[in-house]
Amino acid sequence: MAAEPAAQAAAPVLELRHVAVAYDRVPAVEDVDGVVTAGQSVALIGPNGAGKSTLIRAVLGLVPVVRGSVTVLGRPPAAARRQVAYVPQADTLDAEFPVSALQAVLMGRYPRVGFVRRPGAADRQAAEEALAAVGLVERASARFGTLSGGQRQRVLLARAIAQEPRLLLLDEPFTGVDALSQELLLAALRRLRSAGAAVVMATHDLGLAHLACDEVCLLNRHQIGFGPIGTTLTPERLRATYGNQALELRGDAVIVARP
Amino acid sequence: MSELLGTFSDGFARRALLEAVMVGGLCGVIGVHVLLRRLPFFTMALGHATFPGVVLAALLGVNLFLGATLFGAIVVLVVALLGARERVDETSAIGVTLSGAFALGVLLLSAQDGFSRDLAAYLVGSIVTVQRGDLLTTAVAGTAVLTVLALLHKELVFGAFDRAGLAALGYPVLALDVALLLLVEVTLVTSIPAVGTILAVALIVAPAAAARLWTERLGATMALAAALGAASGVAGLAISQHWRVAAGATIVLVAAGLFAVSLVAAPRHGLLARLRTRRHRGTAAPRPTDRAAATPATR
Amino acid sequence: MTDLLIEPFRLPYMQRALLEVLLLGVLAGAVGVFVVLRRLAFVSDALTHTVFPGVVIAHLLDRSLLLGALAFGVLTAVLLTAIGANRRVGADATLAILLTSFFSLGVVLVSRTSTYTADLTVFLFGRVLAVDRADLLQTLALAAVVLGTLWALRKELVLRAFDPDGAAAMGYRTALLDLVLNLLIALVVVAAVKAVGTVLVVALIVVPAAAARLVADRVATTTVLSCLLGALGGWVGLAVSYVVSVDHGVRLAAGATIVVVLVVLFALAAAAAPVRRRLTARAAPR
Repeated sequence: MAAEPAAQAAAPVLELRHVAVAYDRVPAVEDVDGVVTAGQSVALIGPNGAGKSTLIRAVLGLVPVVRGSVTVLGRPPAAARRQVAYVPQADTLDAEFPVSALQAVLMGRYPRVGFVRRPGAADRQAAEEALAAVGLVERASARFGTLSGGQRQRVLLARAIAQEPRLLLLDEPFTGVDALSQELLLAALRRLRSAGAAVVMATHDLGLAHLACDEVCLLNRHQIGFGPIGTTLTPERLRATYGNQALELRGDAVIVARP
Repeated sequence: MSELLGTFSDGFARRALLEAVMVGGLCGVIGVHVLLRRLPFFTMALGHATFPGVVLAALLGVNLFLGATLFGAIVVLVVALLGARERVDETSAIGVTLSGAFALGVLLLSAQDGFSRDLAAYLVGSIVTVQRGDLLTTAVAGTAVLTVLALLHKELVFGAFDRAGLAALGYPVLALDVALLLLVEVTLVTSIPAVGTILAVALIVAPAAAARLWTERLGATMALAAALGAASGVAGLAISQHWRVAAGATIVLVAAGLFAVSLVAAPRHGLLARLRTRRHRGTAAPRPTDRAAATPATR
Repeated sequence: MTDLLIEPFRLPYMQRALLEVLLLGVLAGAVGVFVVLRRLAFVSDALTHTVFPGVVIAHLLDRSLLLGALAFGVLTAVLLTAIGANRRVGADATLAILLTSFFSLGVVLVSRTSTYTADLTVFLFGRVLAVDRADLLQTLALAAVVLGTLWALRKELVLRAFDPDGAAAMGYRTALLDLVLNLLIALVVVAAVKAVGTVLVVALIVVPAAAARLVADRVATTTVLSCLLGALGGWVGLAVSYVVSVDHGVRLAAGATIVVVLVVLFALAAAAAPVRRRLTARAAPR
């Protein structure tokens, strides 16, 4: 793996060492091992139930780690939350909720503002800039639910941008998103990475994984591979990940049925 | 024990006892279906909605069952229509409709004289004033409900587990669902003299929930639920006679008590049983060994 | 119209009743917004069943009704937060049994008194015309506490309602926020016990907020509208029940009349909503 010397020298943003995560007694995902440095982007790839969302929740400190360790910026996950932003899938949110796009983005500033006080001018500016970064400044006062699916996903990314994070976690950010929104999301992610943020995204979409990420982590309840996308995303590893959802084509290419 | 049984020497007490046994048994059986279809909250709402229907029927001199069932059906329809609209979620729809229906019932009653007494009877029952006619009504309604349940047993159970599958086989699932809801409604109205509309849901849900903890077989569950329901009725009635407190509420407390005991003591599903198995089980489950396709992590 | 809305309130007891329902309307309306946004109507209903025995016990011990209701309200809030708002299958049945048991306890205790049915009616449906200055001050104090807490935590409560996962990811303790809201709901139920009783208070909490939600696009406007509707319902309901009872001889329970007026307001909002939506859609840029 040809890593940039500068990146090698930088302290890792996220360190996963033989991590096993469990809700109860049986681990949902185990043997996860890898490092993400500043500016890098990792795609979590695997079928439904593989443990992608669970792993993300473990990095957020919301689910207990039963073996190994998760370290975010040299600290345990719960201590690093101010530097970590989470982008959920937009369609999990109530579309009829009475907030505007700008208000939704402003929510990213709440931890900074603290209790009782209201967001200040600096916060509003950060929110507006974040909306501009995803190309939605002219819809700032539109109700969240009046936006399209792709636009709503962009608003949630803007919320994360407004948090000025060093680690960004996204859960299926491209599902059901129109082509224009996809472009804008990819561009915003690129800008975040060049500013030094690390990105981890769970996705089904292998094509978009190639476009958005330079590393990949293959999961199916345990880790099957973690490394540069070019060398790690091989047909045999994909078969191991997707089991009989993967269809081989002339021994060279592998098609994965949409899970 | 003989002292408790001795309290049933009066005619009215014997009638109350008969009523308690019949209602308890009926509620137990239908309670199993209510649990299978996850309807406890809905039944609670239905009980609240039945109240104005009963009041209206009583005021208009219409048959109580017809009036209550009709009103209950209207309420269910309104809730369904309201909940289907944007910006109105199901729980708010139920909240709004029930509040309105309930307030309506209270208004109608208050417009008459004798507000308090009748109100209490409709809400929490008045089993000690049960007449022979009421007993007959209970017997007839109960038999009808149990008969229909027996006739449609297979289909109702199937529909509870796999509604889509039943529809695929050509059965009229919606009609079956509505039929069950009607049976629950009839049971609710039948329970009014004993425990009133507010408390009826407890007598329907608690014995069945308790029975579910002791056995997995459906037939046995229904029999046990009926037995527990009837037992709650008898014990509750006896205790209430002895301590001179409201009968309906006491019956409910006994039923709830039986549920609580089952929750703790039942083998396999009870609290104590689960604590015991947890201590015997080892630590994490053994890891799966079949990982032929996996390759070690590369970096 | 003024005959209806102003005349009844020349009497001091009617003035106190009016003040009480106006206060309650605002209080319940504000809390109701979060109840509706979080789909917690069920929690409010639960509280009405469990606060009841607290009220009865306090009455029997000749203590402040507020204290009794408060103790049981807090207990319920804690219990409900523990059992969880997800309403899993088994939890529904347990909750239904728990609620009716609490209620039955209250009924059993009340039935020991000689004024059984009258007391039951008062606890369940209130007696707004018997509200005195002490009650008013109590309601005012509770309103200050509840509205103050809502104001202080408004950002976080909205975030938690909108995106619970996001809120947890940002480090907010959602369980704690839920507990706080449940406690606030309990306090509103406690405040409303004397005036409208435990059964009808759910309507005060849910109906104005549900109506406001239909026609407002921001949390702020929803809250203001909900408070206004709550207060309006109280005023008109009280007036109507007085006029009909006194001038036409048909006794209409005041609390129940208020609820019916609120439901009518809801129906009006429901009818207005699609019209408004069409108007704003035409006006908005596309």
